[in-house]
Amino acid sequence: MTVQAQAPTGHALHAQGVRRAFGSVQAVVNASLTLTPGTVTALIGPNGCGKTTLMLMLAGLLRPDGGTVEVLGHDPVTAGAVARKGIGWMPDVLGMWDSLTCTETLATFGRAYGLSKADADARAFTMLEKVHLADLAAQPARVLSRGQKQRLSLARALMGDPSVLILDEPASGLDPRSRIELRDLVRALAAEGRAVLISSHVLSELDEMVDEAVFMSKGVTLGESAEAEVARARARWRVTALPGHDVHAALSEAARDWSPVEGADASVAVVHVADADDAADLLASLVASGMRISAFGPVGSALEQAYLSIEQERR
Amino acid sequence: MTTTETSPNPTVTAPARKGNPWLPTLHGTFLVTRIELLRRRPSTKGWIFYGILLAAILGLGILVSVLSTAEKTSTPLELVLVLVLGAGMLIGPSLSATSINGDSGEGVLAPLQMTHLTAGDLAVGKLLSSWFVAFAVLVTTTPFLVYAYARSGWHLGELLLVLVVILFLVLTATAVGLAWSAIAARAVASVSLAHLTTGVLVIGTLVLFAFTAPLVSDTMTETDRYVAWDELSDEQSTALEDAYNTGDFSAVDPDALVCDEETYEYGIAHTERTAWMVLINPLVVIEEVSPLVNPLTFEEDGRAAPGIFANVHQMVSSARIGPTEADAQMMEYDECADIATMASGDDESADGGNAYQDTWEQQQEEQAMYPRTPWLGLGLQVLLLVGAMAIVTHRLRVPYRTLRTGTRVA
Repeated sequence: MTVQAQAPTGHALHAQGVRRAFGSVQAVVNASLTLTPGTVTALIGPNGCGKTTLMLMLAGLLRPDGGTVEVLGHDPVTAGAVARKGIGWMPDVLGMWDSLTCTETLATFGRAYGLSKADADARAFTMLEKVHLADLAAQPARVLSRGQKQRLSLARALMGDPSVLILDEPASGLDPRSRIELRDLVRALAAEGRAVLISSHVLSELDEMVDEAVFMSKGVTLGESAEAEVARARARWRVTALPGHDVHAALSEAARDWSPVEGADASVAVVHVADADDAADLLASLVASGMRISAFGPVGSALEQAYLSIEQERR
Repeated sequence: MTTTETSPNPTVTAPARKGNPWLPTLHGTFLVTRIELLRRRPSTKGWIFYGILLAAILGLGILVSVLSTAEKTSTPLELVLVLVLGAGMLIGPSLSATSINGDSGEGVLAPLQMTHLTAGDLAVGKLLSSWFVAFAVLVTTTPFLVYAYARSGWHLGELLLVLVVILFLVLTATAVGLAWSAIAARAVASVSLAHLTTGVLVIGTLVLFAFTAPLVSDTMTETDRYVAWDELSDEQSTALEDAYNTGDFSAVDPDALVCDEETYEYGIAHTERTAWMVLINPLVVIEEVSPLVNPLTFEEDGRAAPGIFANVHQMVSSARIGPTEADAQMMEYDECADIATMASGDDESADGGNAYQDTWEQQQEEQAMYPRTPWLGLGLQVLLLVGAMAIVTHRLRVPYRTLRTGTRVA
């Protein structure tokens, strides 16, 4: 395998051909990915495909058996201290010091990241505001709900002001409102110039949050084929007309690449469009041809579509 | 909401970091110790409970000191010291033995490992915080300690030395618990193994010493002589019986007595070869640093009568010295010779009794005043402490090469 000697400049994190086994179980077989500052990258894959293990290796907590990882130009194995310094890691386990208050927890982490006491306290306060926990600042962590713990965990990962954020399942167990807040927060963090890697099962949420997606299956990251799949999925729109209208015929007449929807009649179809402009044109022409269109929009979640079709291919 | 906005890159006041450092730092160790102590801080109810407990101990201490007699005795002090050591060796490892695998299971270890804290910071901080709790136990026994010390005949320096050694032993036991916690995946296993290690040192060494005694035993032949009562004439029997009853042996003719010889074999253990097993026992280490008490002159020396520690020291010394000529002499019994000595005159008979007594006392004194050797035990403790901390630090370094079987990183 050819290993890139140096990550292209401008990359916050670069991993190439990373693998890791636990005993006889090969958790990560061959994983490669690149994180760019200011972008959010999703790491998507089924349970047990090695997402967490890969994230641990990227964070510098687990030594890879092979391959290279570079965080801001540093190898987490040989230059662990300086590599970890640039990373904020949010584990998938909701571990908190039960008897410490939110402020104490964050301030202590600030101190552990080398901040002075005053700086740590100030940053703890800012972070609590940022994750909407300010009103619970003086509460011990044991009274926090699952979602609140999750937000505290995110704030904890941010105490070291990392350039790279690695978030392992941050959205699991969150209520819809918290998810939207998380999405906004993640986007804001990326806007500050941080590179964010986020793994999740809630693919529809990721759709609106991420710039890039890395699919992973059975310990292998899927490269361009997966990206093409995402692009293809993003171009699939669903057309629904009132009953009695033959959308199929109209689409054939317009010379569109379309497919029927299983279990539905001729009034529903899925059609490929080039982009949003093309979609608008199509809608206009359909309406002009007398179709009574009741719904028109992208099919489900693009990531979900891609994920499912990739999974299907690999079975 | 406030309008405070932090700059996206607040200045981080840490020195430049290179490679993957593991040595403990002062700041990091202090921080980890503080975290661990904060996590164990009692709730309000807890403080009330501890307050009541402390008051009860204080009250009991005052009561005991008021009711007790003025006579010097070191036994209460020795009991308190053994209690402090025992409690410390139970509490310290109990806390430390769940400190690493427990934290890892709860998912609060890895986030700390991601910070600037080194493996050494975590290891030493966790060690010290568990040890402080054991130290608190010592502090709560202070009222007893002051009372017991006041009548013990010990000097203050001697007490302080023993206390320092006790705290050191507890520190080592705590470090061993921490090492088990770094090795074993589950808290149940590491706690059991930690107490097992203490058990091996405290009880196992004594059992081993006892069981190895036959292996270092030599067979000795001994000849005893008795008066053959069956073969004596009636007159002789009567005279001898009278002599034994009255203590006047003048009517007995020793040369005419018929004597039986009985030879038998017995084993003597060369315990000087196995005494090291006892010397590594923590309780013996404590005893070996506590003051020597001369059983013959303790009153003039301003000491209390030999207490538990002094007696144990004497036993340990006896084991270290091994069998002596004097032992062999005292084993031998020659009734006929005794009668001959006693028949030859009162003065000598008195001397004969005293000679035996003198030998015995001399031996007692020699054993009691035999130089103390805590060094073997302390050396082993240093080795355990350094070894345990090396294991802990090594196992806390990230990136992990191996994980405890069946665990995840967290």
